[in-house]
Amino acid sequence: MSEAAIVGLFVATVQFGTLVFLAALGELIAERAGVLNLGVEGMMTMGAVSGFMVGLETGSPWAAFIAAAAVGALVGGLHALVSVVLGADQVVSGLALTIGGLGLAAYVGRNVVGERPETKFTDLGIVGLADIPWFGDIFFNQPPVVYVAVLLGLAVWFVLTRTRWGLALRAVGESAPTTDAVGHSVMALRSGAVMVGGAFAGAGGAFLSLYMAPGWTEGMVAGRGWIAVALVIFGAWRPGRLALGALLFGFTLALQPRLQSFDIEFLGVDVNRISPALLGILPFVLTVVVLVIISWRFRHRPSPAPAALGLPYRREER
Amino acid sequence: MASENADHAVWLRGIEKQFPGVIACAGADLRVRPGTIHALLGENGAGKTTMVNVLAGIYRPDAGEVWVNGQRRSFHSPADAIAAGVGMVYQEFRLVPTLTVAENIVLGSAPRLLRSTEIEERVAELSAAYGMAADPTRPVWQLSMGERQRVEILKSLWRNASVLVMDEPTAVLTPGEAAELGAALRAMAEGGRSVIYISHKLDQVVAFCDEATVLRQGKTVATVKDLQDVDLTSLAEMMVGSSEGGYVDRPPAVEAGPEVLSLQGVCALNDRGLPALTDINMTVHAGEIVGIVGVSGNGQKELAEVINGLRRPTEGRVTVKGRDVTGASPGDLYRMGVAYVPEDRLGVGLAPKMSVVDNAVVRSYRSQRQGMFLSISKCVKFCQSLVERFSVRVGRLNDPIAGLSGGNLQRLLLGRELAEQPSVLVAAQPSRGLDVQGVAAIQGHLVDQRAAGVGVLLISEDLDELLALSDRLIVMFEGRIMGEYGPDVTPRTILGSAMAGKAPK
Amino acid sequence: MIRPVLVRRDRVLPATQSFGFVVGILVALVLGAILLWVSGNSPAEVYERMFDSAFVGTDSLSRTLERTTPLALTGLSVAVAGSMGLWNIGAEGQMMAGATVATGVAMMADGLSGPALIAVMLASGVAGGMLLMLGPALARSHLGVSEIITTLMLVYVAIRVVEWLQVGPWKDPGSLGFPRIEEVPGQASLPGLFGRVNIGALIALGLLIVFSLAVSRTAWGYELRLAGSSPDTARYAGVSLRRKVLTALLLSGGIAGLAGTIQLTGAEVRLTPGLSNGFGFSGIIVAALALMRPSGVAVVAFVFGAVQVGGQSIQTLGVSSAISDILQAMILFGALVAAVFFNYRIRWTGPLGESSGEEIEQLEPAVEEPDV
Repeated sequence: MSEAAIVGLFVATVQFGTLVFLAALGELIAERAGVLNLGVEGMMTMGAVSGFMVGLETGSPWAAFIAAAAVGALVGGLHALVSVVLGADQVVSGLALTIGGLGLAAYVGRNVVGERPETKFTDLGIVGLADIPWFGDIFFNQPPVVYVAVLLGLAVWFVLTRTRWGLALRAVGESAPTTDAVGHSVMALRSGAVMVGGAFAGAGGAFLSLYMAPGWTEGMVAGRGWIAVALVIFGAWRPGRLALGALLFGFTLALQPRLQSFDIEFLGVDVNRISPALLGILPFVLTVVVLVIISWRFRHRPSPAPAALGLPYRREER
Repeated sequence: MASENADHAVWLRGIEKQFPGVIACAGADLRVRPGTIHALLGENGAGKTTMVNVLAGIYRPDAGEVWVNGQRRSFHSPADAIAAGVGMVYQEFRLVPTLTVAENIVLGSAPRLLRSTEIEERVAELSAAYGMAADPTRPVWQLSMGERQRVEILKSLWRNASVLVMDEPTAVLTPGEAAELGAALRAMAEGGRSVIYISHKLDQVVAFCDEATVLRQGKTVATVKDLQDVDLTSLAEMMVGSSEGGYVDRPPAVEAGPEVLSLQGVCALNDRGLPALTDINMTVHAGEIVGIVGVSGNGQKELAEVINGLRRPTEGRVTVKGRDVTGASPGDLYRMGVAYVPEDRLGVGLAPKMSVVDNAVVRSYRSQRQGMFLSISKCVKFCQSLVERFSVRVGRLNDPIAGLSGGNLQRLLLGRELAEQPSVLVAAQPSRGLDVQGVAAIQGHLVDQRAAGVGVLLISEDLDELLALSDRLIVMFEGRIMGEYGPDVTPRTILGSAMAGKAPK
Repeated sequence: MIRPVLVRRDRVLPATQSFGFVVGILVALVLGAILLWVSGNSPAEVYERMFDSAFVGTDSLSRTLERTTPLALTGLSVAVAGSMGLWNIGAEGQMMAGATVATGVAMMADGLSGPALIAVMLASGVAGGMLLMLGPALARSHLGVSEIITTLMLVYVAIRVVEWLQVGPWKDPGSLGFPRIEEVPGQASLPGLFGRVNIGALIALGLLIVFSLAVSRTAWGYELRLAGSSPDTARYAGVSLRRKVLTALLLSGGIAGLAGTIQLTGAEVRLTPGLSNGFGFSGIIVAALALMRPSGVAVVAFVFGAVQVGGQSIQTLGVSSAISDILQAMILFGALVAAVFFNYRIRWTGPLGESSGEEIEQLEPAVEEPDV
């Protein structure tokens, strides 16, 4: 196995990690506020198609990225309206968002299938660091979205733990009546969190359609939105652990198309003879295994999940 | 107008509020002078909680005026009320268990950027200034109920509330802690703040408060300018509206029958996996009521669950009529004659979204079958017989029970448990939250069951109820039995110190 | 300032639960029309084509019923779990698992006569669906792992396994290098009834009736509903929650596996990665709209079958069939929002003392009130 192949594997790990990290970070914000949003797959797909189309139209990857985030926030806003403001079932609303989002994206993008973008993010070498052997390419010569994601992760951590709004957000995810009673608006906090979460998911979708797999095809998110939902549990609702989990999942996602080129033997089997289709199940199986392990570890302890996750709130309800 | 109000810290005038099916307030008034502790009295459902929720901006009144510190206010949200200087301490604390004491205190009025050490220092200063010890760095879920209440009060003081509302503050306190609370409230009143104090415990009201307002059926029926001038009996009469007492009288003691329930060396863990019961030994005989005395959270819930098979004891034995039933399932225990009226009626025991019929057959659905299928006519007939026998007021039998009032829910639940003549009845807080008639009906049923030879284990926070009904009293503290007492011979002070964990004299 | 507040109605409006579905359809039609109009199509023309192709004539009806069958079965699958408050999001995968196991059995037992082979395949399809559900079901019942994520993740696993089978071990040697799996034996095809409808439709109808009765009229169903509505009360009534969760989820998986097998031997001829075709996901919407009641699943599935057939037909007008996915989601959103307003009304609240513009309803004086 060549050095370049190994570096390539880890470069892709960081990129796939960024993809799921962005979406999962958005879901983390929503869930910390007590709203389960199963519409991540739909929001990412909408972000992917709208980012790609804006990129095609404007030629500016940044305009495309921001437009995708805005569309994600808008789609998230629908979930906020239905499940937070009106208090309908969050599971049903989120699933409808995924199914409707996939359909709408297919409809909106029906005329751009197969087009090649003239624009994409270019890799951004950080002066002085990008030239470090191995690490330079893996960490410091990546597209700018990777650095944006790192900054967003730090920002979310800072806001959650060090600001008035973060405190309110954490509180509303644990107990809405308490947060209401001290004068924070439950609806504003939760709706805001869901919409910001949608923006993150939409931006993640644009990263996919503008950089990682330039172009638009139906179903291109391919379950990675769902992995993001699972990743939040894996990360125990904390941004730091989420980042680690994202790298782990990024590794399995990056491994799949590359493993065939690796000439190594594992348990007496040549890995390059394993079908890529079969390797594709790896991240999904890993998710299930990890969820089971986490539940096993927490079986005698209170769950780290926000206590009010999934519960709608109406003030005058008795 | 304004000058007339200038000398009131709070004036709630002609408050009206109704909920679906319930008129909570029908033109009630409340005036509180600055620097006083003002008692708000009334039966359950008289409208006390609704009144203070209006003052706190939680409920919007259908009609009426809210004046705070001489200004007419229109609260759109709790934030408005907080800004106007109203601080609420609810009966069920509004604290976020996973956040620290300091985070809970500053929640809602925190600076934009949180510097934890700085905030913790300031919280520590505040708690020192009012003599209310609380470690600002500890998460709230680790605190005792008394400590949590201190955090709630500090929360209001942090916001510089000029009016502090306390809803049933001593329900979760030992008698000693209650006295400390009284002193702290007095210090606040002397500092110029006003306190609205809601309680059922009239002796504490007379000891702590200056003035009182009495509500009945949503209206103000009396105001007392000086509580030193009235006696407890007349206060109680104002609350209930007639001299009919609150408690059913226990018929004279009868010779207790054979032992129906016994616990030997029972230990159990709570939901967090920490010891909740330690070496519990007790017996209940046929035809007696055994009262469990204690501040809530001292193992009563776990005790009831162990007896009813909902919680497995880690050690010890439970026997019913001489048969070892340790570890038996709740269904098996019911068939062996153990009935259970749980504390959290709507969470355990009833299914709020299901119909009256469905709830009536929770214990007996297996016997309402005809061939493979549940017989709807059998279920309905069974339900109707319960409704009639226990005078449950229901609408349509197929409607969800969530719309029934607390008293009717409790009658339905108790009726269902008694339908197949149990030999042991565990009743946890059976009369909590009910009005006078409801309390009398439920207590009447308990006494009837005793007469019919059922062994009743009564768990209650209401010492008066326990003293009135029980043949024997068992005091629990931190999961242990502190001692056993006769209700007629034991002074309350002795029970009080046992409830606080002090060795009985 | 006047603000709207949602207030719970004293009584839920009568007959509204099924009405929510109708409102949802109307909402979806209106929004869909706007979408079509914005993108330059004539909504009337598109809707007319959809209606004709789904309902007018025996052939159209048979196409709709052909789609209704798998939707009814996946809807039932989700509803059986949903009766207990559980979410089977992975019916799509269990369909694939069922069809995969059935294909494998058919490969080994292709010497059997038609009816015997069909029976064996249907049974092994149920087993396949259950097999894929076994992990999530055990994880849920014994460790409390949310079944939402685990069932969904296994969808991707099941589809990828079929992709692997068709390029690898099960690749048809007669396919001239084209990656596909051998056709199931001819005698395994489900007997037809009329048009494109086969006895799979009757099997689905029979199961819907059986489960409707089981859930609403048996002690087993009572326990299931009690456990879904209030788990602590069910435990108190002596119901073993673990066993109930396991049975509900395994049955749910088995029904979805059956749906996959009926697709395999009825509508299709061979196992492909596209066999499940989104039916499992649509089944979630069907069950949600049927309020998790097996009795309602048939009606909703029929409407969804029509929407999907209609969606296919409008491609000849140059309109994307994605419209039908959008309509399905919009029906659900519409019904969700409608359900909120059936249970709540809007009250406009102004500052205190001003009229809130609502008439005060006459209430009996409350003799006994909950603590308010």
